[in-house]
Amino acid sequence: MSESTMMSQVKKTFSLLNQRACSWSCSRSSSSFFTDSDSAGLVLQSHSTDVYQNLALEDWIDANVELQGRGILLLWRNRPAVVIGRHQNPWTECNLPVMRRAGIPLARRRSGGGTVFHDLGNLNLTFFTSKKAYDRQRNLKVVTDALRRLRPGLDVQATDRFDILLNGRYKISGTASRLSRKSSYHHCTLLHSADRSALSSVLRPSCPGIQSNATPSVPSPVANLLDHAPSLQWEELLGALVQQYNTEFGLHSALTDIDPTNESMFPGVGEMEVELRSWDWTFGKTPKFTMETQLELTNEQPPARCSARLQMEVKNGQIESCHLDVPVEWLPVRLSGELSSVLIGERFCPHRAAAAFSAVLRSESGATHRRLHRLCDAMLTVMG
Amino acid sequence: MAACWLLRSLSSNFSTVLPLLARSASLSPLQLTSKPYFGRTLASSSRLSAALKFTDKHEWIRVEDGIGTVGISNFAQEALGDVVYCGLPEVGTQLAQQDEFGALESVKAASELYSPLTGEVVEINTLLADNPGLVNKSCYKDGWLMKMSISKPAELDSLMDEAAYERYIHSIED
Repeated sequence: MSESTMMSQVKKTFSLLNQRACSWSCSRSSSSFFTDSDSAGLVLQSHSTDVYQNLALEDWIDANVELQGRGILLLWRNRPAVVIGRHQNPWTECNLPVMRRAGIPLARRRSGGGTVFHDLGNLNLTFFTSKKAYDRQRNLKVVTDALRRLRPGLDVQATDRFDILLNGRYKISGTASRLSRKSSYHHCTLLHSADRSALSSVLRPSCPGIQSNATPSVPSPVANLLDHAPSLQWEELLGALVQQYNTEFGLHSALTDIDPTNESMFPGVGEMEVELRSWDWTFGKTPKFTMETQLELTNEQPPARCSARLQMEVKNGQIESCHLDVPVEWLPVRLSGELSSVLIGERFCPHRAAAAFSAVLRSESGATHRRLHRLCDAMLTVMG
Repeated sequence: MAACWLLRSLSSNFSTVLPLLARSASLSPLQLTSKPYFGRTLASSSRLSAALKFTDKHEWIRVEDGIGTVGISNFAQEALGDVVYCGLPEVGTQLAQQDEFGALESVKAASELYSPLTGEVVEINTLLADNPGLVNKSCYKDGWLMKMSISKPAELDSLMDEAAYERYIHSIED
């Protein structure tokens, strides 16, 4: 089949799947299509390895596709990225300075659950269904059945937390989901050949001393499938998953490549991507938290050492209050007070804080300036 | 091609749906008055308006003196399982009927919450921050989610009363 014919087939299926408010004549003429098993499901693979584009595609399908009596499986993977759950705190879940230096972006998804590291060795599977047909165990069975078919000796089990464990110990898959207006999606990761040292270096807290009621991740030791099944190729894995999905749900769908940035196929998807990239969504949606920590301050000339106490309240990613307790012999109260007050209303972010501090720093000189500078540096370090 | 046209024309009907996901709940293109409605009709029917009304998304609203208290039904809290986090809107957020106003995260999933009526958020239940389980334990009383002013009282007529909601639950359970 030529690419344009395949595309028009997918477009046609999408348009039928989009029939929400259908007149009688409309549904009658297309009823034969509904009984055709091909339209009862689709298996799609995203062209893109951009985490925001792929998350936007999920949102688009969730919002626009009629899923009563149907299902869609979407396969996707991303260039290195950290993805936090809907109600999580990025400052406790991941190491933002390490990520910044490595150029690893942060994304917040709309489903719940914990924090994961994505890279090209991690496969994401999203199972879209109606709310009635929402069944995570059945979806995970697709994955474990496919793996056992590929490598019969493989010990893979889904747990009651909806993780998949290898050899009863190593997590190879984590799950999250979202229930919306009429539909639902359940997505999970699958570690094929991810960079485990990158994973462990980024999945650490950025800041000490944070107290919050944000949903915490449950850390687990992980493993890659490739380490335990060295001959298991990526394409082989995908093929088995597609086949098992079709078997489990009585479908005959071929894997179809799609471009999640195609506005004519997915009108409005670009706007969804913009929102997912925004600071307001990624950081601003963080549940309110307080941060309380000790700052160790030292000086060379004259040698001096003391600790300061820093306490901040952060709401919507912005600093609502800031209290700095610095010994008066180290720095005048006036100056520590100024540093606190310039932060109010600023984003909880070392770049914004540094910019706010610069005015205060400029007004001082000599030894006072040096101490102020050290205090600023210490504060920036604990802000991720 | 006819199918493409169908897709495009249908997607234009989703203009009320797409912006809901493409913007945060605190930004609304709608210009709404925040004044509650103090018409005579409301005062005389205040006895009726204190009763619970339900949406097909399993939210309930109880209107008293022009303010609606919103929560989720027992059916919903049972289906959700243990709530571990309540994501609620900012006070002052303008909501149109059916707008997403937040999400409840439970072991089952992150489930969107939909506004039963058009109005403005005037209060949120701060107890839920440390005790999200109140939504399960006391969904009609201590587990209320938010209070809102009512801009369009007529919208109440589109909601189900308790008896109609019971019938609705039975119909979907079958």
